Amino acid sequence: MAHYYNIDEIIVEEELVSAVFQKAANGVGILDPSAETNSVEQGSKVELPFWLAHELLQRQAVTIHVPACFNQKTRKEIQADAPCVDLRSRCPYFYELGCKVAPLVGDRTIGSLLLQAFLSRYKEVLSKAHTAASTPVPKVLTLLTKEETNLYETAQSSMAAFKKWRMGGPRFQRASVLGRKRKPTD
Amino acid sequence: MYGRRACQLIKEFSSAEKGQLTGFNSDMFDQVVKECSTHYLELQSLMRKIQEEGMDIQTTRNADHFGMVIHHLSLMRNKRCLMAYVYNRAEIIRNLRWKIGPVLPQEIHEKLSYSEEEYFKNHSTALESYMSELELDLTVDMVPPKDPYIQVRVLDDIGEVLLSDQSANLACHSMHFLKRIDAEQFISQGLMEELTD
Repeated sequence: MAHYYNIDEIIVEEELVSAVFQKAANGVGILDPSAETNSVEQGSKVELPFWLAHELLQRQAVTIHVPACFNQKTRKEIQADAPCVDLRSRCPYFYELGCKVAPLVGDRTIGSLLLQAFLSRYKEVLSKAHTAASTPVPKVLTLLTKEETNLYETAQSSMAAFKKWRMGGPRFQRASVLGRKRKPTD
Repeated sequence: MYGRRACQLIKEFSSAEKGQLTGFNSDMFDQVVKECSTHYLELQSLMRKIQEEGMDIQTTRNADHFGMVIHHLSLMRNKRCLMAYVYNRAEIIRNLRWKIGPVLPQEIHEKLSYSEEEYFKNHSTALESYMSELELDLTVDMVPPKDPYIQVRVLDDIGEVLLSDQSANLACHSMHFLKRIDAEQFISQGLMEELTD
């Protein structure tokens, strides 16, 4: 497994998807808050993290629904003005989750939705990253998903590196691990 | 929810800045390990139940089986989170050796767990023995050099130091013209800064 240790991969799979149990399961009552016994009944609807829902789906124990962040409302907003949609509050791993969910639910429109959203937001993210000042943190950052934030930061650091190269300047730097300004919380 | 705590551990790690360490959260780590044992016990009791009912554990697909599957998956998930936590920290710790050198400053040192300290020491020793075999210091010249000498200003009282071509008194705020490879260590430790004209 190539991504076994990948932190982001693990966090994406923690996103909740709603699932309906097709088979009963004993000894796992904690999954269903409305269960009276320590088991989940057939047909009960529960929110499962993606890693669990995915495996159970392969064993035909559950069926899953498309997560709420890909609903009609979001789609309409993306069609209207993609760069202004607050994707972070909907799902910080919008694209990654979409890629994982799409083949499972057999919804062919998710792929084109993701592509359309990314294409129209990509240009905006890059141009903002190249022009905006690094401090204070611009408002646009609060709308971006994790992937887009990475893109934004990469664009900014490449711009900074270009400027530094053009101006000349010290090439050695203090190790960044030592450069913490904030005190650790513990 | 199963696996929630393990994921919190991972999120805590990922919320730190890239390449920075947070303190080893041994409380939460132990809690997740404990969760794993609980899953294991539940798994065993369900297995026993199936066997007592006289059914074949390989082919039975009843409610007990799916309960078992869920506990098994949760256990594997917890394991993956713990492994990823340790693995990604170890990667940062290995990098520390290259960036800061064999001695860690106090504020970083106290973030490591005991076994991570051992790991750092062993990694450091391994690297040193390899470098002495090669007779080459691999940790210098990480930035391709333009000039073998550079102008530096000392930021901290380092004192009298024997360098590769001279011995210099590196007092605070003094300026020197040093060999790059001598200065590099001090700069990455934050004791000197490079001056440019």
